[in-house]
Amino acid sequence: MSRTALNPLELTLGIMTAVGGFVDISQLVFSGQAGSMFGYSLISAFAISTIGIMVYGEMCGRVAAVAHQPLFSLMRHRLGLKLGLVTLVASVLSTLVTTAAEIGGLGMILNHLTGAPYMLMCVASTLALMASMWILPFKWIERTYGLLGLFMIVFVVALVAMHPPWGKMAGGLVPQVPHGLSNKQLLNYSYFVVAIFSAVMFPYEAFFYSSGGIEEGWKPKQLLTNRVTSIVGMGLGSLLSIAVLALAALLFAPTDVAPQMPGSVALQTAIPFGKLGLLAALLGMLFAVGGAAVETCMANAYSISQFFGWEWGRHKKPWEAPRFTIAWIVMMLLALAIVLTGVEVMKLVGYAVVFSIVVLPLSYLPLMLLADDKSYMREYANKWLAKILGWLFFVIVTVAAIAAIPLYVLTAGGQG
Amino acid sequence: MLRRPLLLLLLLAGCSKGPQADLQYISSARSLAGEWALVNEQANQGHLTHAYVKTMRQSIRQQLQTNAQSLTEPKSGYGSEIGALLREPDDAPPAALRVHATNLKHVEDSLESA
Repeated sequence: MSRTALNPLELTLGIMTAVGGFVDISQLVFSGQAGSMFGYSLISAFAISTIGIMVYGEMCGRVAAVAHQPLFSLMRHRLGLKLGLVTLVASVLSTLVTTAAEIGGLGMILNHLTGAPYMLMCVASTLALMASMWILPFKWIERTYGLLGLFMIVFVVALVAMHPPWGKMAGGLVPQVPHGLSNKQLLNYSYFVVAIFSAVMFPYEAFFYSSGGIEEGWKPKQLLTNRVTSIVGMGLGSLLSIAVLALAALLFAPTDVAPQMPGSVALQTAIPFGKLGLLAALLGMLFAVGGAAVETCMANAYSISQFFGWEWGRHKKPWEAPRFTIAWIVMMLLALAIVLTGVEVMKLVGYAVVFSIVVLPLSYLPLMLLADDKSYMREYANKWLAKILGWLFFVIVTVAAIAAIPLYVLTAGGQG
Repeated sequence: MLRRPLLLLLLLAGCSKGPQADLQYISSARSLAGEWALVNEQANQGHLTHAYVKTMRQSIRQQLQTNAQSLTEPKSGYGSEIGALLREPDDAPPAALRVHATNLKHVEDSLESA
């Protein structure tokens, strides 16, 4: 998600980066399964959760630009040391599992692209990610992965080429429970709603976004550009997930296929466009998931460094913020170690969404409190719309957090 | 107040055995059979790269093996069906793979309505 855009070219680049960087492995997997199992009805879950991440993303950027406060520094002050520490540990663990899921996803995608062994590809992709994080400045880390992730637009083109029932798709924007579901299917449906909310509103996005705003030295005069970039970019990015869902409803649902592997999602573009479509999809997925792996890993390093008051930031040379640098290296290696235990990627994806939604309310609460606080935010404090939407989504994610673990167990992660 | 029933529910969900507990593996195997059929269908039309076809078939087979090993009743009818699916060659005709998917779907439907 890019934030600095001072002219039309910068604005366009910022939006394109946000679009390409929006999707991650969980969104890919859950979009494909949601479409094949429940048709277009879960489009509304993507649409509503995207509004949620727009609201909090805008708030993160505003707080970073006006109060210059990173999220975990806020948490320590607003939640107190004990609750702040609990939130930090829970958040680091859930984000670490998310990083592992992204690395596992990268290994699978590279395995499908090259035919080389999965584990070897996990190690190679981790090393490549670490090299890019070491070498590239912050803005170019975002842009490289975000812009190359735009290959994923092939899913939107494939959807248009397949002539979907646009009316039915538009109907999916209305929140609904499909008719005639059994109790088991109803539980599965509820699990998917929770999982989609979690996958779209991952807490790491807020940590990364807020810290990135400070990295880039945002000022209040850039707020409008930030708002446009994040809202338009995230909105268009969400269309990629919706395209994957709609293609699954069109191509997988009639044959009762609920994609069990990230690689299956790429079949959706091979059907209309053959090998070129397949390669574009795999490349887009590779960079989108790679970007998410970098963001999750850095989000953890930001959180830990900000909580303990260490020097942090990619605008500094790695040796100028040594504990921050060690933190992201350790996080990346720990995530790789999790993958190398042989745990299934799909299981990691399930754990990532469940653990993350549990952490979400505690991640967004201090942000809301500060964004509401006029003594910090002056005339930039939340206005009525931001307040209403912010608290509404806070209630939604809290309910989802309470329901997440029971639903995961009862549905065997959406399979049962 | 809700903690006890919830804990009991979670315990029951975690400890259940028999066909109902196997339902998730049957669903997964049914879907994998469908994915395998799609891969072979597209491969036959020249729509996929060699590396993709090879690795997808490997991953599908691996997942099916995990499902078969996770069954609490491997000697059941559905266990045999998953076994038969696993014995299919990598380049099995899509129609043959879809027959397995349909058979597993019937088992799934009957278990769900039980």
